[in-house]
Amino acid sequence: MTDSTYRTVLVPIASDEDAAVTGDAVSSRFDEATIIAVYVVEKAGGAPDTAGVEQREEFARGLFETFERHFRDGNATIRNRIAYGTNVAKTLLEVAADEDAEAIVFVPRGESRWRQLLTGDVARKLLNQTDRPVLILPRETDE
Amino acid sequence: MSDEELAKDLGLISALAVGIGTMVGAGIFVLPGVAAAEAGPAVVLSFLIGGCIAMVNAFSVSELGTAMPKAGGAYYYINRGLGPLFGSISGMGDWMGLAFASAFYCIGFGGYLTTLLSGVVVPLPVVGTVDLLPSIVLGPLVLSDIQMGALLAGIVFVGVNYIGAKETGGVQTAIVTLLLGILTIFAIVGFFSFDWGTVTADGLTPEGTTAILPGTALVFVSYLGYAKIATIGEELKNPGRNLPIAIIGSVAIVMVIYSILVGLMVGIIPYDSISESTPMSDVAEIIFEGNLGVIGVTSITLAALLATASSANASILASARINFAMGRDKIVTDWLNEIHPTFATPYRSIALTGLMILFFIAALGSDLEVLAKAASVLHLVVYALINVALVVFREADVPEYDPDFTVPFYPITPILGFGLSLGLIYFMDTIEIALGLSFVVGAIVWYGVYARDKTDREGALSNYILSRSDELPDAAVSAANVASPSGESQYKVVVPVSNPRTESDLLSLASVFAKANDGIVQAVHIVEVPDQTPLSEGSEHMRQIDTESQQLMERVRESTDTMDVPVDVRTIVSHRAFEEVFDVARREKADKVVMGWGPGRPWSAGRAERPLDELAHDLPCDFLVFHDRGLETDRVLVPTAGGPDSDLSAEVARYLRDQLGSEITLLYAVDGDDEAAAGERFLTEWGAEHGLEDAAIRIDTSGDVEGAIEGAAREHSLIIMGATERGLLSRLVRGSIAYDVVHDVECSVLMAERPTSRSVRERLFGLRRDE
Repeated sequence: MTDSTYRTVLVPIASDEDAAVTGDAVSSRFDEATIIAVYVVEKAGGAPDTAGVEQREEFARGLFETFERHFRDGNATIRNRIAYGTNVAKTLLEVAADEDAEAIVFVPRGESRWRQLLTGDVARKLLNQTDRPVLILPRETDE
Repeated sequence: MSDEELAKDLGLISALAVGIGTMVGAGIFVLPGVAAAEAGPAVVLSFLIGGCIAMVNAFSVSELGTAMPKAGGAYYYINRGLGPLFGSISGMGDWMGLAFASAFYCIGFGGYLTTLLSGVVVPLPVVGTVDLLPSIVLGPLVLSDIQMGALLAGIVFVGVNYIGAKETGGVQTAIVTLLLGILTIFAIVGFFSFDWGTVTADGLTPEGTTAILPGTALVFVSYLGYAKIATIGEELKNPGRNLPIAIIGSVAIVMVIYSILVGLMVGIIPYDSISESTPMSDVAEIIFEGNLGVIGVTSITLAALLATASSANASILASARINFAMGRDKIVTDWLNEIHPTFATPYRSIALTGLMILFFIAALGSDLEVLAKAASVLHLVVYALINVALVVFREADVPEYDPDFTVPFYPITPILGFGLSLGLIYFMDTIEIALGLSFVVGAIVWYGVYARDKTDREGALSNYILSRSDELPDAAVSAANVASPSGESQYKVVVPVSNPRTESDLLSLASVFAKANDGIVQAVHIVEVPDQTPLSEGSEHMRQIDTESQQLMERVRESTDTMDVPVDVRTIVSHRAFEEVFDVARREKADKVVMGWGPGRPWSAGRAERPLDELAHDLPCDFLVFHDRGLETDRVLVPTAGGPDSDLSAEVARYLRDQLGSEITLLYAVDGDDEAAAGERFLTEWGAEHGLEDAAIRIDTSGDVEGAIEGAAREHSLIIMGATERGLLSRLVRGSIAYDVVHDVECSVLMAERPTSRSVRERLFGLRRDE
C-alpha cells in the first residue's frame, strides 16, 4: 500500500527498537516522498544535560543507520536530521514546519503509563499541539 | 535559533552556577567543623591556600578547555596530550575521584537530613516505633543514621539521573542564587555575633602553623567543582570567553565565600566545638537566636541539603561525561555508554557510578575525612597531569592547539600547578594516598590488560617523541613505544585537497573506500604558500587561511554524499604541497591516499624539492590518483595484466561494486585471435582470485593495449588502472607518463599504485631513514 499524496513526511525516532519498527512500518508506504528521520536531543535549556550532546548525537546516528537498514525498497528518499530543543514535541513541530513536511508519521511505542509519566509522553503532547496531520502507523506484524 | 545555538545552551550565568553549585555544598556546609578542629582558627588560611592552588590549576584548565571544549574535560585533554596511558590514569582518577566526592557530599547531605529528621519516629506494628533514619548493624558493618540518610540520598540522586528527570536551566540557577542569598543573610546576621575574642582565645594557631597545610589537604575537596565546567565544555555558549570566566570566576567567588563564612564561624563558636557533621546548623542556632529562630536554622539546613545535593548531582553527571569520552577512545567498553531507549540517559554509566558511590558511603562513610581526602588525592593527580599536558601541547607544536585563553606567566603557571598539586598530596594521610594511588595503579593495569589493545589514540607527547626519535634519548623513545596503544588502528583514507570547491568527487570516492572498511576519511586541505611567507604558528595570516579553509571544507563536506562515513577536515599550510601529501600520509598512518591530478593542483606542477625517486618510490601506503572528468561509477573498466598493482585495482573495483553497485568489466589485451581463449582463461581466473567472478570479461585481440583501452573506454564511465611498473607517481610528476591513454580517453581514470614490498618492509622496520 502506498500513500502517494505526501511529498515530505517527518518520522521521529527515539530508540533503536523504535527505529527498526518504524523503518519496517514506513517501508514502501510513501512512494517518491522524502522521508526525514529526525531525532531530538532534549536540552535542559541552561542546566547540564543528563547525557552529553555529542553522546546523543552519536546515538542518533546509530538510530538513523538502523532506520535505513529496515527501510526497504520504495522510491522514497531518506534524509536524517538531528534537532535540539527543550521540549521534544514542540521541537518536532518546528522541524516539521521548517522542512515543510505534510505529515508527521510514527508508530506507537507501546510504552506503559508509568514510563509515559516519567518521560513526559511526547506522543500525547504532539497530538494535542500539532498543526499538521499526524499519521499513526500500525506495527508490521507479518514478518 | 540555529541548531548550534540550541545545542550549546549554557550561558555564562549557568556555567557559573554549575561551578559554584558544585563547590559550595562541600566546603561550607560539611567541612568547617572537622577542619577547624584540625587547624584552629587559622583554618581560614587553609581555605585560602586551597583556593590558591585551585586557582593556579583553574588557569590551566581554562586554557585547555578553550582549546578543546569537549565532553570529558580533564580526561580528554590528558589523553590527547599525554596519550592513552595517562589518559586512562586521568579518566579513572577523575571518575573515582568524583565517586568519592559524591559519597562525601551524600554524607554531608545525610548529616543535615538527620538533623532535620532527628526525633521523627515511624510507628510500626509489632516492633513499636523506629527512627525514620535508624542505625543498622549488619555483621561487622555498622551503618550510622547519617550513613543511612546518605545512602537514601545517593539512591535518589542516582535514580534521578538514571531516569533523566528534567531539570530546567532556571532551576539550577535559582538554587544557586537562593543559596548565595541565604549565605549572605547568614554572613550579615553572623557578623553581629562575631567575637574576636573567640577567635584568639587560644591564639590563632593553637594546633601550630604546621597544621595549616594538612588543613588545606582536608578542605581542598571544597574546590573540586570548577573542573566540572570543563567536562560540559561542549555545551557552553561561546566557550572561548565563557569557559575561562566561569572556571576562574567560580573559584574566586567560592574562595571569598569560604573565607568570610569560615572566618565568621571561628569567631562565633570556639574552633574546637564546631559540629563535625552539621557545622552550619549549629552556627545558625546561635546567630539566629532571638531574631529569626527556627526559620533561620531550618532555612540554613535546607540550604545545606540543596547545596550538597547539587554537588552530588553535578558530580554524577560529570562522571557519565568522562565515561563517554573514555568509551569513545575505547579505554572503556562501549557497553557502559549505551543510551537508555526511553530515558535517553547513559544509564549504565550512571548506575555503575551510583553503585560505587553507595559502596563508598557504606564502607568508608563513617570517616568523612577519608572520603574527602581520597577524592582530593585523585583529583590532584589529575590536575598535576593537566599541567603536564598543557606544557606538552605548547611545546610539541600541535597544529590544532589554538586556545582562546592562555595561562599568564607560562611556563611558570603550569609548573607551579604541577608542583602545588603533587605537593598537597604530601599532606594527606597514608590511607588516603594509598587509596588514591591504588586506583592509579589499577588504571595502569587496566590500560595494560584491556585498553592498550583497543585504543588507537596517540597523544601529542608520544607523537612528539617518536617523530624526533633521532634527537631524543633512546630511553624516552622506547618508553613512548611501550606506552603506545597497540589497538587495531582505524582504517583511514586521506584525501589531499588543493581546491575545496572542486574536490567533491574525490571525497565521495574516498568515502566509498572508507565505508567498505568501516573507516574514516581525512580530508586535508593543503594550502601552498610562497617560500617568503613564514609558516609561523598562530600568525594573523595563518589564522585567516585556516578559517577560510575550514569554511570551504565544511561546505564541501556538507554538499558531498559521504555515505555517513566520518569525515575529518583539517588544513595544512606548506611551502611544498607535493611533499606534504606524502608527509601527511605518513603522519596520519593512512591506509589509502586518494588524490586528484590535473591543472589547478599545486602538486601537479611538480615543484618537489626532495629527489622525486625518494618520494615516489617509497610510497607510505596505497595511492590512488584520480584524473577527474566527473565521477560516474555505474560502468567501470579494469584493464589488467596481473601483478601487484592490479591487485589494488581489483580491490578498488570490489569496493565500487559492493558499495555503489557498479558494473565491472575486466579487459585484457592479447596478440591475435589465437590467443583469445588463453586470454579469456586468464581473465576468468584472475577475476575469481580477486573476488570479481561476476564481472564481465572483455578480450581485445588487436595487440594494441592503449588502443584497446581507448576503445573500451567509450562504453565505460570510469577506468581503474594499475601502474604496470614502479614509479607511476614519479613519472606523473615529471610529466613523462607513458600512459597517453589517460589523456586520450574521455572518461575519468583512477590510477592505482601500491607500495613495493621492499618499502613496506622498510616501513615496518623503520629502516627508511637516511637512505
